[in-house]
Amino acid sequence: MIQVHKTTDSKLSLSHILVAYAALTIGGICGMLQGLVRGGVIELPYGIGYYQVLTAHGVLMALVFTTFFIIGFLYAGMVRTTGPLLPTVNKIAWVGFLMMTVGTVLGVIMVLLNKATVLYTFYAPMKASPWFYVALVLIVVGSWCALVAIVSQFRYWKRTHKGKISPLFAFMAASTMILWFIATLGVAATVLLQFIPWSFGWVDTINVMISRTLFWYFGHPLVYFWLLPTYVVWYVILPKMIGGKIFSDSMARLAFILFLIFSVPVGLHHQLMEPGISPTWKYIQVVLTFLVVVPSLMTAFAMFATFESYGRSKGAKGLFGWIRMLPYGDVRFLAPFVGMLLFIPAGAGGIINASNQMNAVVHNTLFVTGHFHLTVATTVALTFFGVTYWLIPHLTGRTFTKKLNRMGIWVTIIWAIGMVIMSAAMHIVGLFGAPRRTAYTTYNDHPVALEWLTYERVMAISGVLLFIAIILLVISIVMMLRAPKGEEEFPIAEVNAAAGQTPAVLDKWWIWIIILAVLIVFAYTMPFIDLINSGPGSKGWVTW
Amino acid sequence: MDARRDQMESKRRENGNNQQEHGQDEPLKGTFASVLMLGAFIAVSWIGVFLLFLNRS
Repeated sequence: MIQVHKTTDSKLSLSHILVAYAALTIGGICGMLQGLVRGGVIELPYGIGYYQVLTAHGVLMALVFTTFFIIGFLYAGMVRTTGPLLPTVNKIAWVGFLMMTVGTVLGVIMVLLNKATVLYTFYAPMKASPWFYVALVLIVVGSWCALVAIVSQFRYWKRTHKGKISPLFAFMAASTMILWFIATLGVAATVLLQFIPWSFGWVDTINVMISRTLFWYFGHPLVYFWLLPTYVVWYVILPKMIGGKIFSDSMARLAFILFLIFSVPVGLHHQLMEPGISPTWKYIQVVLTFLVVVPSLMTAFAMFATFESYGRSKGAKGLFGWIRMLPYGDVRFLAPFVGMLLFIPAGAGGIINASNQMNAVVHNTLFVTGHFHLTVATTVALTFFGVTYWLIPHLTGRTFTKKLNRMGIWVTIIWAIGMVIMSAAMHIVGLFGAPRRTAYTTYNDHPVALEWLTYERVMAISGVLLFIAIILLVISIVMMLRAPKGEEEFPIAEVNAAAGQTPAVLDKWWIWIIILAVLIVFAYTMPFIDLINSGPGSKGWVTW
Repeated sequence: MDARRDQMESKRRENGNNQQEHGQDEPLKGTFASVLMLGAFIAVSWIGVFLLFLNRS
């Protein structure tokens, strides 16, 4: 086995992972505090605002934790499947890491100074300090360095292995970063062309609708930027964890290509309740949104099939006898598996959100918050937690001990219980009409609002549970860094021998990127033409 | 006739062994049932909220 620890590549991945967990810890403290405030349990001291804490929670969890973890994990997998990073690639990757870290620190400082209490969606016309937007530019451009690094490494492998199908992990890593690049073009456009000139005072007004539309052009594929690395773990790593095989290489690649195509030209389903966008184009993008159900269900099928094939090979009987054969006692399997199970209600909620009429029922309510706490904060986070328990030992030349496993199982159980309770409360009270992004209020003791309070207190209690899980996780990470020296494998499963050969067309990017570009131009040209002529724009507002 | 039956039986046994080697050749009945249940759960959730919409509109 190639020893990866103590190399600059392993330090690169580890640095990303540690920044990710620093962000998770601070973001987790903010999450617990906001839950307690919203439930009317505490009031924040020293003039700290609820929305300030909410902004820090959203930015640190949804943007910083995920982006750093994903990039660190993908680098490690690229090294495992394509060899050590090329020296230039390694340098570019470090430059990207530094830019992202400086951007994160700058952004957090702006939020802590209460100069950027604009929530993680930073909707105009709320106007933050221009340095908050500069911080976002640094994070995005830094992440583009990761794109250049991973795609360059992928292309190098292809050049040196002519005629061969690329390693599945490397293909998926490149897909993830290509998706990220196409998505971040939207956020880069709005920040560079709209927010920065406006916040520095170079122009007086901002076109609010264009900024929101560009945000959601980015915001929906952002969800798939979180989910694709999660699927990498499910498709490529979990089969190895259970001692099984990848069900089908072709199916996995096709699913990723479909995710890439159908996750971008669909942002308008986040804006169904907004005026100023033609219902026809909303309808078209809702249809495109629903097509993402296809690769999602392909993934569900592939997972069930992987587990059942493994169980049957071990002699499982009956319709569901294979379920008993899985290694639930190993956190490296358990955490992603629990995340996978909870993705079922998460996916169902997503289909409800994206349906026009039902969006009218749930729009801007806590139902939506409950939905993304199931997707990103449960499915994605638990999968990443499971990875952490072998990835940090792998990167540092340590061993994964039984004690670490026990800690990890506790983290998984507490996190899953906390998230299930919190999300259930959010979904239910959201259906009763409780709004999201609102500090504690009883609306002058209105009877409807008073009914929400019980659910909001349940959310507060589960927030405390989740914080306990984060403390255990941080302790686990410290233990991993001090664990006995040894070798921990980066698990990559083999493809089932019975699966057919992968067609070369599934390894050719340009075809799929052209199809995606055509779909984006089709889905967004007319809405943007309408929006460009949509009024005089707005001056900035500081609402906090 | 008996020889032919023996040959077929032996081939069936061989196929059975191959199926155990490559678990994927097993009929994936549990997978089929699982995806059907998943689909049903999604449909029920969707219909539930749609009825709520109808009720409120």
